[in-house]
Amino acid sequence: MASAAATIRSSFIWRGFHVWQRNRDAVIRGWKVELGGMIIEPFIVLATLGFGLGAYVGNIGDTSYAEYLAPGLIASYAMFHATLDSTYGAYLRMDSHHVYEAMLFTPVEPSDIVFGEVMWGATRAAVSGAVVLAAATSFGLVSSPLAVLAIPCAYLVGLAVASIAMILTATASTIGAMNNFFTVFIIPMFYVSGVFFPLDHLPQSVRTLSWALPLTPAAALTRGLVHGNLSWEMLLWVAELLAVAAVAIYVAAFFMRRRLIK
Amino acid sequence: MTPGIAIEAISLTKDYSGLVAVDSVDFSVSRGECFGVLGPNGAGKTSIMKMVCCVSPVTSGQLVVQGMEVMRHRRAVKSVLGVVSQADSLDPGLNVMQNLLSHARFFSIPGRLAKERAWAALDLFQLRDKASESPDHLSGGMRRRLLIGRALLHDPSILILDEPTTGLDPQSRHLVWDRLLELKQQGITMLLTTHYMDEATYLCDRLMVIDLGKILTEGTPEELVKAHTGEQVVQIQTSIPQRDGLVEHLKKQKLDFEDAGDSVLVFGDSIRLSQAESAWAGYRVVRRPANLEDVFLRLTGRGLRD
Repeated sequence: MASAAATIRSSFIWRGFHVWQRNRDAVIRGWKVELGGMIIEPFIVLATLGFGLGAYVGNIGDTSYAEYLAPGLIASYAMFHATLDSTYGAYLRMDSHHVYEAMLFTPVEPSDIVFGEVMWGATRAAVSGAVVLAAATSFGLVSSPLAVLAIPCAYLVGLAVASIAMILTATASTIGAMNNFFTVFIIPMFYVSGVFFPLDHLPQSVRTLSWALPLTPAAALTRGLVHGNLSWEMLLWVAELLAVAAVAIYVAAFFMRRRLIK
Repeated sequence: MTPGIAIEAISLTKDYSGLVAVDSVDFSVSRGECFGVLGPNGAGKTSIMKMVCCVSPVTSGQLVVQGMEVMRHRRAVKSVLGVVSQADSLDPGLNVMQNLLSHARFFSIPGRLAKERAWAALDLFQLRDKASESPDHLSGGMRRRLLIGRALLHDPSILILDEPTTGLDPQSRHLVWDRLLELKQQGITMLLTTHYMDEATYLCDRLMVIDLGKILTEGTPEELVKAHTGEQVVQIQTSIPQRDGLVEHLKKQKLDFEDAGDSVLVFGDSIRLSQAESAWAGYRVVRRPANLEDVFLRLTGRGLRD
């Protein structure tokens, strides 16, 4: 047992965890700044789109529009918060605040930093997913106790998206490059991932592309959990998100090493 | 591995895609020694430091720290080094205490011990009452003291100091020097770069002067002064029309001198200089012991580097 503990303590998981702890401490220190907006926003979006727009849209399948929308928003907010932190947040820590530089003078290596940052991005995703889930529950849009699994699911979404974002952070030459990531990748994905409407009426090529992006399986997975409709396909979606995360972390670690060790 | 050697470099070379910053350098640092690396800007000092700290790969040659090749045992090497880098890398997202605790975690120091050591470091560097401040609110001297305290948390056997007192006021500088001397007495090995010759003289057991990636000379501060300047300097203030005559005279007397613009420096031992006094009769003269700065300027020239 002792040797197992020692193995974990000398592994990348543990060192990544210390990077995660650094970010947690920094956020707890300034939590008041972020909390307000993070809680209010999902209520506004659910109220306006879910019920305002929903009144015109009517039902999708056998659910109301607000019920259809809420799980997609949980996944989307998870995506946005993970992305924001792993792009602008991580870039600032790396470039302006010299946080990585200090870490590299310790046994921490670039791959540990990437792993810790991705775990942190995923944590933020889980927290924001939980806030949207709470908002949805308070509006009566949640119909299954399985909905609580939407929180680990949001973590998984965060893992996939944050690791892609870290590739960008590791290769960006200025912080402005982050804007392109949002306009070219994140925002289009937000609109074609079945968050606002089912993909059935889109051309086959768009649908195929959409399912290859992380937000589509993420939204479908969350919807299944929130509405209590389980299916075997969900395992496939979990596998897709995990695979995206694994490959992207590997690539990001490669570029981060190239950037930091020269 | 040679016992008693903390750092050993053999034909150490750093090539930044065509720009050779360190050019086949050999040196070794004994355990418990303070070894200085001096040189003008762009000489290769920081490149050497970065390779020792494993944040810059060695292009060719060998670099061994505590018996471990730096390219092969990165984590193990980094865990015995305490690094005070030139760039201020305090974490602005954390307060002073959190900066220390977070850093201690990266070295896997258990929480309670980390806290004990963090308070001890704050006491040692007179920062106890700043524990919950943001590092952004500290003065330059305090920040530097905190950086040194942070580098000591994991009880490193080698301390890497890249210009540790640049920009500090005399009070802070002396506090830092006192602490570093105490650490040296406790047996810690130090690798130090500095632009201050008084600092090098005060702290270093041995040092090397490098320029353009190559070692110009190496030895104890006293040896270097003796070898390159002699024990005394006569500094003669001249004006341009007077100078040619003076220089002529010095050459005739076969004196060792350097034309330094608005003054001429004559080097030698005290007897030789006293015998030659007539050469500068009538000039404004300062006669003083030679120091490391004279050596440094003689070896690296007086032209500006950046």
